[in-house]
Amino acid sequence: MTGAQVTTDEIMVYAASKMINDGEVALIGTGLPMIAAYLAKATHAPNTVLIFESGVIDARSRHMATGVGDFPLVSGAVKTGGLFDSLSLLQGGKIDLGFLGTAEVDTYGNINSTVIGPYHQPKVRLPGSGGANDIASLAGRVIIIAKHQKRKFPAKLSYLTTPGFIDGPGARERYGLRGKGPQKLISDLGIFGFDEETKRMRIESLHPGVTLEMVKENTGFELLGADGDIPTTEIPPAEIVRLIRELDKDKIYINKDKGGDS
Amino acid sequence: MKSKVVSLQEAVASLENGAHMSFSGFGQSMGPLAFVREMIRQGIRDLELTAVGEAWSVDLLCGAGAISRIRLSNFMFEGWGRCRNFSRVVEQGKVQVEDYSHFGLINRFFAGAIGVPFMPTKVMNGTDIVNIRGFDGEQKYMPFHCPFTGETVGLVPQVRPDVAVIHASRADPFGNVQLFGISSHTEVIAKAAKKVIVTVEEIVDESVIRKDPSRTIIPGFMVDYVVHCPFGAHPTGMFMYYDYDKQHIDYYVQATRTEEGTAAYLKEFVYGTRDETEYLEKIGLERLMEIKADPYFGYSLKNRGELS
Repeated sequence: MTGAQVTTDEIMVYAASKMINDGEVALIGTGLPMIAAYLAKATHAPNTVLIFESGVIDARSRHMATGVGDFPLVSGAVKTGGLFDSLSLLQGGKIDLGFLGTAEVDTYGNINSTVIGPYHQPKVRLPGSGGANDIASLAGRVIIIAKHQKRKFPAKLSYLTTPGFIDGPGARERYGLRGKGPQKLISDLGIFGFDEETKRMRIESLHPGVTLEMVKENTGFELLGADGDIPTTEIPPAEIVRLIRELDKDKIYINKDKGGDS
Repeated sequence: MKSKVVSLQEAVASLENGAHMSFSGFGQSMGPLAFVREMIRQGIRDLELTAVGEAWSVDLLCGAGAISRIRLSNFMFEGWGRCRNFSRVVEQGKVQVEDYSHFGLINRFFAGAIGVPFMPTKVMNGTDIVNIRGFDGEQKYMPFHCPFTGETVGLVPQVRPDVAVIHASRADPFGNVQLFGISSHTEVIAKAAKKVIVTVEEIVDESVIRKDPSRTIIPGFMVDYVVHCPFGAHPTGMFMYYDYDKQHIDYYVQATRTEEGTAAYLKEFVYGTRDETEYLEKIGLERLMEIKADPYFGYSLKNRGELS
């Protein structure tokens, strides 16, 4: 291991891991959230229980899974069941937080993962909701992981697959959605929250080297909190970086196209 | 009791064009893909699917032009991206779709399985899944106020496919089926469907099942046909038997980026093989041994880049 520079992925993983509190029950997807959850369990939150929608309860895997139905999650778990078992836990109010990825996300934290273009004549057909709508509707709170590009942060989604705050304050209550909705969005440019009053996305910190201009250029709607001094996102300490690189040593999910490894 | 074991050809021949079907499988595991390949060889078509996450069955059948409409919650080759054949036929307007969330669709099956006309659920409300309707129209979702508490819920109607096809670990000749590891939607589709066809890695004696009944997911009286299909989920994997075939999945995902590539893939591996023995010969013994599961982990360390 060299003292190679900390990568954006590693900053994102560290930020996401710190949002998990010890003892919480978390519904995890693949990708960066999986590394973040493993990091949390290896550091400040060893008692976190990881649930995967495919039916894996309290996973303790010895190899990096390539999907939520992948066998390393099964081997070492305390229970395996089906989709109904894991998603019922959500509706039963037993899941504290969920992580979601996005194809498109709007200012209210609503997500599209269904189509680009009109539903009945799509330009691009995407995978669909899967468990994302369920997690966003029902988990205690939700953390969104996104790649910051203008077309991925549009003023209006092609299709609202997964609810954030829908059209603003009171909407989630009106539609009977039990979870509190998105708490944070972590992108490759910064960390964002949602304004208490308007429920719109607000800048909380920018990653080192990222300017406000870069964020504005890559966002299709107006962000709150774009004035005054904006804090810089905390960089993971060296021992955490080492741990992150060890967790995903085959670069299955992070540090895929850039340096950052020895 | 009478044996329910039939050949793969016979089981597939029992299907009718235009049938409403559901398949097991989640991501890169448990797809009844020997069965799906035989469906393509026999030219079964005009299918309606209700499909939760069986990306491989759906993408192969979309590539073969066998599907007319699909209710779905998610198709993705996790780690490999979008299902290109599925995406393409929807983008070309050749297949109609109706989107749900996983839990929304699972509740439709659950209603079918337990014999009630609908289930209340607290998902999908406030989104375009509810606002934009396809072929299900009014038969998709209805907002409702609980008569007991006044809470807002949504009702989803039951769904009962004509046929569920599942791939499982082992069964006895009478159709008592056991599955190791996660079950995803296997159990609920089998309970909701009017006919159940099971393909398995192993056919075992009834005493093997009776000695270990907690692993049984479907009792024999609910099963119509049992088919012996070793490596029947390839290129997806079966926990404790074999891993997904990374190399073959790479090849498939690359090939299916174009229609021509899909046609060539199907010609080589499906239409060009007379049966599953020929298919597995084409994959090759060397590869099949590489993905064979380590009995301790339940998957192949070699396939995971160790022991190479």
